[in-house]
Amino acid sequence: MNEAQVQFAQVYDRVQVDSGTAGPIDLSGLMGTWINTNPDSGGIARMVISGSNESPSLRAYAIGPDGSIDWGAAELKVFRAGPASRVAAGFTSSYDFGFAETQLQAMILKGLIVLVQTHHFKDNSNRADYFVREYFGLDHGRY
Amino acid sequence: MTQTLSFKQTSDLNPALSDPATKILKADKLLGRWVNTNPETRGIAEISIDRDGEHLSVDIAGVGEQGPIPWPRARPRVFANLEEEAGQRAIALTATFSWEFMMAETNIRVNKGVLVIVLSVTFRDNSGRLDYVNREFFYRQD
Repeated sequence: MNEAQVQFAQVYDRVQVDSGTAGPIDLSGLMGTWINTNPDSGGIARMVISGSNESPSLRAYAIGPDGSIDWGAAELKVFRAGPASRVAAGFTSSYDFGFAETQLQAMILKGLIVLVQTHHFKDNSNRADYFVREYFGLDHGRY
Repeated sequence: MTQTLSFKQTSDLNPALSDPATKILKADKLLGRWVNTNPETRGIAEISIDRDGEHLSVDIAGVGEQGPIPWPRARPRVFANLEEEAGQRAIALTATFSWEFMMAETNIRVNKGVLVIVLSVTFRDNSGRLDYVNREFFYRQD
């Protein structure tokens, strides 16, 4: 499929990707343990991203009233920095807790992960669905 | 009688979520026509958010080679945004735009008067294009 044949909804997407460009994804900027920059957060305290190019995964640990809550592992869908880029620049993931569903949408900006959480309650608690955006820094251990 | 609330993080227990006022947060700050702050964008030119009866609608025009490209109208999901905007609680939206050849999952909010959209794009065709994430900024044009 050449560039003239690709369908697009914005000019940004009108690119031709050759086999050289479309090499293996570079996940190096995403892997590791990411710590919430807000020590007073009531949300996710840290995220551990690991695995292979083929099956990267996320494990989130949230802040509970009595300590950390392990959300368990979840699959990641990785997104790149552009339609012809090899570099991983974000991800989406989701958790179904029974009483609520949580969708995660993340983007790396200036070395931080900016994480949007949307929470949809499925129980009869009559709580409003809510949206939270928080920042996470990589625990690189260098300094 | 008190109800025990299920939770997976402290935010799930935020009293604001059970406040009836949170359920009727107004979308006024999001409504209207929003134009990309970047005149050279090759992505989204403008976004219109309107009331559609009891619901909201989101219309997007992408930048085309010979004029704007209308995206399929989306009906967003509405969330209470626990961040405050100008001292008031606001709402945020998520919306999915779908074509046969691609899908764009978005979140939309207003921060200090600027509308911010983050979109995660998935290609469904065999063009070889790679799924990507992008963010753009918009100012209100009434």
